[in-house]
Amino acid sequence: MTNSIREIRDTDCILVIGSNTGEAHPVISYEVVRATRRGATLIVIDPRKISLTRHAALHLRPAPGTDHALYLGMLNAIVTRGWLDREFVGGRTEGFEALAAHLEAWAPEVAAAACGVPAEQIVEAARLYALGLRRTAAEGGESAPPRGASTILYGMGITERSNGTELVKTLANLAMVTGQIGRPSTGVNPLRGQVNVQGGCDMGCLPNVYPGYQQVADPAVRAKFARAWAQRQSQAGRELTMPEAPGLTFIEMIRAAADGRIRAMYIMGQNLMMTNPDATLMERAMRSLEFLVVQEIFLTETAQLAHVVLPAASFAEKSGTFTNTERRMQLIRPFARPPGEARPDWAILCEVGRRLGRRLRRPLRWAYGSAAEVMREVAALCSIFGGITHERLETVGLQWPCPSPEHPGTLFLHAEQFSRGRGRFHATSPAPPFEPTDDAYPLVLSTGRILYHYNGGPMTRRAAPLDWREPRAYAEIHPDDAARAGVRDGQACLVSSRRGSIRVQARVGGVVPPGMIYVPFHFREAAANLLTHADGLDAGAKTPEFKFAAVRLERLRAERSGAAGGSHPPPE
Amino acid sequence: MVALTIDGRKVEAGAGSTVLDAALAAGIEIPRLCHHPELTAWGGCRLCLVEVEGQQAPVPSCGLAAAAGMVVITHSEQLEAHRREVLDLLLSDHPLNCVICEKAGACDLQRYAYEFGLSESSHEKEIARKLYQDENAFLVRDHQYCILCTRCVRVCEEIVGASAIEVAQRGFEAFVATPFDAPLVETPCTFCGNCVQVCPTAALVPVDRIGKGREWDLTRTRTVCPYCGTGCGIEVATRGGEIVSVSGYGAPANGEFLCTKGRFGLGFVGHPDRLRRPLIRRDLAYSLGLIDTPPPAALGRSPLGRSPAAGETHVEVDWEIALDLVADRLAAVVKESGPDAFAGIGSALCTNEDNYIFQKLVRGVIGTNNVDLCARV
Repeated sequence: MTNSIREIRDTDCILVIGSNTGEAHPVISYEVVRATRRGATLIVIDPRKISLTRHAALHLRPAPGTDHALYLGMLNAIVTRGWLDREFVGGRTEGFEALAAHLEAWAPEVAAAACGVPAEQIVEAARLYALGLRRTAAEGGESAPPRGASTILYGMGITERSNGTELVKTLANLAMVTGQIGRPSTGVNPLRGQVNVQGGCDMGCLPNVYPGYQQVADPAVRAKFARAWAQRQSQAGRELTMPEAPGLTFIEMIRAAADGRIRAMYIMGQNLMMTNPDATLMERAMRSLEFLVVQEIFLTETAQLAHVVLPAASFAEKSGTFTNTERRMQLIRPFARPPGEARPDWAILCEVGRRLGRRLRRPLRWAYGSAAEVMREVAALCSIFGGITHERLETVGLQWPCPSPEHPGTLFLHAEQFSRGRGRFHATSPAPPFEPTDDAYPLVLSTGRILYHYNGGPMTRRAAPLDWREPRAYAEIHPDDAARAGVRDGQACLVSSRRGSIRVQARVGGVVPPGMIYVPFHFREAAANLLTHADGLDAGAKTPEFKFAAVRLERLRAERSGAAGGSHPPPE
Repeated sequence: MVALTIDGRKVEAGAGSTVLDAALAAGIEIPRLCHHPELTAWGGCRLCLVEVEGQQAPVPSCGLAAAAGMVVITHSEQLEAHRREVLDLLLSDHPLNCVICEKAGACDLQRYAYEFGLSESSHEKEIARKLYQDENAFLVRDHQYCILCTRCVRVCEEIVGASAIEVAQRGFEAFVATPFDAPLVETPCTFCGNCVQVCPTAALVPVDRIGKGREWDLTRTRTVCPYCGTGCGIEVATRGGEIVSVSGYGAPANGEFLCTKGRFGLGFVGHPDRLRRPLIRRDLAYSLGLIDTPPPAALGRSPLGRSPAAGETHVEVDWEIALDLVADRLAAVVKESGPDAFAGIGSALCTNEDNYIFQKLVRGVIGTNNVDLCARV
């Protein structure tokens, strides 16, 4: 997030896009509720009728996959009707003229025709967001108030798309053209889905950067890490050379494993059989590996395929830090003992590193006395974390950048200037989803989370109250589509894509629009990711399109109904 | 800032503060039961009444805006007598079974009864609300302990935005209810348990907490919820290493509020399915001569089908065997096919320290940048 969670309550206008905040980030939704109770205007842009729409002034429901046009229509309205922040655009950005010229083709009526949202609603959303109008200001005819603070909160509905990077750039355009960034309670705020997905990236578990987003391609960076990691400092320069070419991204690794270019994999705490697209491809890739190590707390669906499974301590049994979606690094403290012989992940990795280093003649220093000591090394090597130590985190979390021991951390980014200097506008254009619907597969499948479960379910399905509340897989289906397929509410039905099919309980209602099916991906016995595809990745981020796959819905014949389940080869 | 006088002391209060806020900020304690700093003032419990110069009757300080020049008395003989009577009345309608009560030691009513020296009520004892609702797996609603402070109703409406409960009926008959008294699952309740968090008595108690120990037996550890990216601070109460309850404590991202997963979703920690020793897949163990039973057919089945029984796919081994095997096999692949024949996947569920060491292993020892995590998938 560019800004902080606590700033949301003081926002004047909130745009929630592609985020079912109430279910995926409930505590952030409380901030949104607080803001609306203080008079903020809430605009929800989502095909689904998510729980926050109850508090929304406007709910725009673009047809799945067409929302890009909606944002362009908003931008057009902002520019042509003079709601832009000329001072911000002139002083802080570049490339506006090209954007403005590009937007001429995107009058709200044109956008409306493309996305199905009425032009008046597009214009109204643009006005409320651009000017940061509270509900009272929006309704009253009083003289124009000073520009309020607007924030964009977005989720995987934006990023898990074949053009996700372009969509994010478009949202950045909205924020920059209206000056709704770089101040408190504004910004472009991705709500990150997992407890330490921010931190995992920060720590360099990415194929192109070292910890602290230092480029792999930079020889000075490689030399710095080689020096720091080498067991014997004097020999470091000669002995240890760091790989220069950027590595493969996640799905590229999977494809490389499936066709034999990757022969061995080490997976730490990631149940990709459940959480990644095209589970059949995932299984083929895992089975193609000559050697697979999985480090886990349960024998997950992925661990079941591993040659060696190493038992890890969970968050409850170790020390360390997590970094949340607002860049806040916080200390975790153990409150239980690891079961049996399970060990903290970092300690296991040090053991592997020591043994493997001897065999490959790449001896590194692995003698860390504690997680706190590991963090000291991180701080010494990464300027944005330079001032962070476990000792400082004892009292309160710190938001990076935090370059020095006296630095208080950074509440919001881009206050004076953007990371690259001036913010650059990108003229983006909509692209169709990778797998459009057709006669054989006429419905759009979107997958995601529900309130009571998390990812592949190994944790939440073993938490008794949560599993009591949502014990089985289901599909949200619009009454029109259900009627057409002869499926009744509460009955088992069959959802199939080109890749597989699952049996789930039908929940027929108005949450999804006609033509769309939503299936949570938490249930192994009806794994939604048997249906999704791993093709048509986003060009920039290489993210799969979990939010759009073509499927069909069928009633189950009597002998097949009953318990939910999944199967690999698609049925005839 | 406004300047006022409380109990003879000059006190500065921020804009928009109430007299109660100003007093608490100055370290002056005023008894209160319905007040909660994150919720709108209700003024129903009448414990926080104060005397204000120039006003005839005492006023609830929780709803009284601090004004410049105001002179306030928070403790007087008359106020103490009034508060004692309020508590006396509350106790006439409240079971005094603190010896077996889950909330003993953390109950606001018990605390004030102690401070005012009230062991029982001087009024005729009659429990108005006797409903006991335990129709869900998350929390028990034991209405006999309810003092109708409405904190639960307000948190549900003002913070969570669910508005699943409200005060039904009036006077002695009043109780906190769902619409039409439906079970909570049939309401917009999200089972976040923030009502439990703000309840001053044992009217709302987590199911899993019951019978697990007295408040003073519990060890409390402040850590971070392991689920979504919000990074809520949680305080885990344990006894003998077993989780008793989870609550919020006033952390930066979430204040004291949590969602259902953070509060009721940590049961996986002590689950019997947790891995306890390193495992080797049966076909590999067989080929290494570690076992003499040939690999079962189960190894060929999809993990998305039936769950394997314990030990069906893998056998337990010592750490030394497992670690050496990992090092031998990985080294062999790297030596034969080069470092780029290896790929590593870090974890969004592991710590920064874990992930740092992970990429150090991949880059530094194996010598490839084939390292990623699920951020992009």
